[in-house]
Amino acid sequence: MFRRNKAAMLGLILLGLVILTMLLGPSLYPVPAFDISGKPFTGPFEVASLPLGSDYLGRDILAGMVVGGRATLAVGLAAAAITVSIGLTVGALAGYFGGWVDELLSRIAEIFQVMPSLLFAMVLMTLFDPSLTTAIIAIGMVTWTSTARLARAEFMRLRKLDYVNAARAMGAGPVRLMVREILPNAAPPLIVSATLIIGVAILFEAGLSYLGLSDPNVMSWGLMIGSNRKYVLDAWWAVTFPGLAIFLTVLAVSLVGDGLNDALNPRLHQR
Amino acid sequence: MNKPLLEVQDLRVHFPIGGGLIGKPRAWVRAVDGVSFSVPRGTTFGIVGESGSGKSTTALAVMRLVRHTGGSIRLDDDDIGTLEGDALRQARRRFQMVFQDPYASLNPRKRAGDAVREALDLMAYGEPQARPARVAELFAQCGLRPEQQRLFPHQFSGGQRQRIVLARALAANPELLVCDEPVSALDVAIQAQILNLMQRLQKALGLTYLFISHDLGVIRHMCDQVAVMYLGVIVEQADRESLFARPLHPYTLALWSAAPSFDPAARGRAQRIRLQGDPPSPIDIPPGCRFAGRCPVAQARCHTDAPLLREVLPGHRIACHRVSDNGKPDYELAATIG
Amino acid sequence: MTARDPMPGTSQESPLLEVDGLSVEFQTRDGVARVLESISFSLARGQTLGVVGESGCGKSMTALALMRLIPQPPGRIVAGQMRFEGIDLLGLSDAAMREVRGNRVSMIFQEPMTSLNPVFNVGEQIAEAVRLHQRLDRRAARERAIEMLEAVGIPAARKRVDDYPHQFSGGMRQRVMIAMALACNPSVLIADEPTTALDVTVQAQIFDLISDLRSRTGTAVILITHDMGAIAEMADRVAVMYAGRIVEEGSTADVLANPLHPYTRGLIACAPGRRTAAHGEPLEEISGTVPSLLERGAGCAFADRCREVMPKCRIGLPAETRLAQGKRRVLCWLHADASVPGAGGAS
Repeated sequence: MFRRNKAAMLGLILLGLVILTMLLGPSLYPVPAFDISGKPFTGPFEVASLPLGSDYLGRDILAGMVVGGRATLAVGLAAAAITVSIGLTVGALAGYFGGWVDELLSRIAEIFQVMPSLLFAMVLMTLFDPSLTTAIIAIGMVTWTSTARLARAEFMRLRKLDYVNAARAMGAGPVRLMVREILPNAAPPLIVSATLIIGVAILFEAGLSYLGLSDPNVMSWGLMIGSNRKYVLDAWWAVTFPGLAIFLTVLAVSLVGDGLNDALNPRLHQR
Repeated sequence: MNKPLLEVQDLRVHFPIGGGLIGKPRAWVRAVDGVSFSVPRGTTFGIVGESGSGKSTTALAVMRLVRHTGGSIRLDDDDIGTLEGDALRQARRRFQMVFQDPYASLNPRKRAGDAVREALDLMAYGEPQARPARVAELFAQCGLRPEQQRLFPHQFSGGQRQRIVLARALAANPELLVCDEPVSALDVAIQAQILNLMQRLQKALGLTYLFISHDLGVIRHMCDQVAVMYLGVIVEQADRESLFARPLHPYTLALWSAAPSFDPAARGRAQRIRLQGDPPSPIDIPPGCRFAGRCPVAQARCHTDAPLLREVLPGHRIACHRVSDNGKPDYELAATIG
Repeated sequence: MTARDPMPGTSQESPLLEVDGLSVEFQTRDGVARVLESISFSLARGQTLGVVGESGCGKSMTALALMRLIPQPPGRIVAGQMRFEGIDLLGLSDAAMREVRGNRVSMIFQEPMTSLNPVFNVGEQIAEAVRLHQRLDRRAARERAIEMLEAVGIPAARKRVDDYPHQFSGGMRQRVMIAMALACNPSVLIADEPTTALDVTVQAQIFDLISDLRSRTGTAVILITHDMGAIAEMADRVAVMYAGRIVEEGSTADVLANPLHPYTRGLIACAPGRRTAAHGEPLEEISGTVPSLLERGAGCAFADRCREVMPKCRIGLPAETRLAQGKRRVLCWLHADASVPGAGGAS
């Protein structure tokens, strides 16, 4: 079923490539990313030992790409996982129960919503030591509200449908109703949202690195862009290649998310 | 004498508007405002009315899907109105519901067979090993083929979906089926199929039906007793013959004459009781008779004193000032009753 | 307020609307579905034609085809002609067709909840139709909107013209829709299940309203419904549709008194007002369901459900049989030999 969707397959292949690079890359190309590997500002495809060139310090770009994917993806996926968990739970409870539960949770969500996200993340990163974990938590805390709103709307809409009532009439309790009856039907927009959040998280991390706020000891594509931002006119490749990598990864995740949606949609089943 | 299976006394369902975390509600929607009836075992009790009448809310309250604010609901000798938790869950095996919208009553992501199977699992009916056979039995009873168990709801027509809904409702062998407009969303020819099926099932399984509808024709065919609801209260109630031979309440007459007539002579100029305006909302209920605002024969008294529901003929109750205590209306309304 | 005078070149006697052999196909994932097959009918000035059938029979599709509102992919008009006041509707450019829509031929839909735009008040929506087609200025258009609201029985029209759709009840909204549809004095009003979503007493009001307006303005009406009772009350002629074809057509009185096609007989027997089964006895039913339009063979689509089916019904269909000087038509082998010679009978 998934196979039929060409775009999703493309996405899957792309994602597979990224993950493969992440896993096998460092052993296939064991150049340490932080080492000075050659002359600074070497362009791509000029020198055999620097296939994609070097940055302003002389660090190997390809090495950075190969190693950096790990951190980037880790942040992206972990932050998205936190976001979706918090957002889905809060939204589901607010949407399903309504009344004072909804009021309370919505007010809490609003508090988080009105905070300028980048600023808040920056504050967190400076207050606590700027490790990857802090970055993940910071990103999760500022992006969960949109998922929560989506989940709330879906749960509110779906809980009124007759099939939910029918399950209630058979004695199903709230947890079972939310998990087995409503959630599978609320999933499509949430899956799309989750894939978008992965993209947002990756870009967020890139932004934090760009501002020099993330862990300077962990190589990530964002860090590459960030540390080379002053030299974008002199060494465009140092910024472009990691940027391209981020773009392709986010695209791949989106396509896979779409494909997943279609695969799970019983209306498209032919059997 | 048929002992009543379902007995509802002075049922009230009021919804608050406004209020919330803090503060009291601004107003109350009195959707059901004092409804009483009893349904003998093995018969069909019909409730007919339009939007805002409270008939669907009554059904949901009886099913314990909506919280009732007052009154009692008894199934046989059990007060199901006060049950909670596990006791309620156990009791649910005895009463189930058939919904109106065949497109919303089935989870689109569950196969038909699974929907029925899960009913058995939820209500812990019989031994798990025996449940697949029961699903097959239910499918057959409701006129579905065994291979259709694998299909998803969107692969069925409206009528077939209602059959699945019936199969699911009958899973745990209930005594009472509450049917909220079960055929209103179906084409005429399919309506006939489903109604015939429901009658066969009633005879075969000894079911009791609480049948809600806005269609007097369907009610007339299916029901042994009928109650007409308007704005949360019953305005007329009688057994079928009495109600259709001698409708007494002006609203009943209006409903009856509103249905298009087949008589070619009446074509184009059917004598119809024209009600002004639309069915009102149950928020701001005026004093006096609730129908007075639209009633073509309302008098001054009707706007100030609410009439009581009282028995004026054997088995025939009515709430109207203009009908005497021995069942004689003191008004004339010309209408073609088709 | 009268329906528009006919275009120069046509006479009062020629049919207002003539549809001949209209066929529409839809491209679906699983193949091509023929949703309309050789639909032919005519509508005279001031007449009311009822189109009745169950869901999926193509009655709404016919209305959309008349208004050329069928989405062009995946739908396609593959054959036939439609002539309105002598003009070939299929040959019109998009701009010319837009002149016809809402102006000379109007339509009202089933769901009054969703047919009105919630962000504009009703006066604006009615006035929009008038300004578009009649080039009236804002003030004149607003006056016309108020006039129409009064004509459809909305009390305090001058005040309510600025209200939004959500401030009206379902029945009122349907009246607003009728006001919009009739604002430009169309010659034809197509009403697609106008009362299905409404309460019974409100339905009665809407039918009364349509009858009143019809007699005052002389507008011809095509009433699409699944309710035989509505047909009995409102329609002069009726066309019964099944699986994309018209299976029977004639004057309402004739068809109701003497239905020829087994499907028509079944529909009438099932209709609520006519349910003659005694309490406790099963109702007349038509067994089975409408077949998928993708699986249609060459034979009659009703064959599997028909009580009087014959072997030849599954192989093919007869040509249309015309009776009573062409005023009655039926598509059924049971009557294939009954056509009157010289009246354009079956070959």
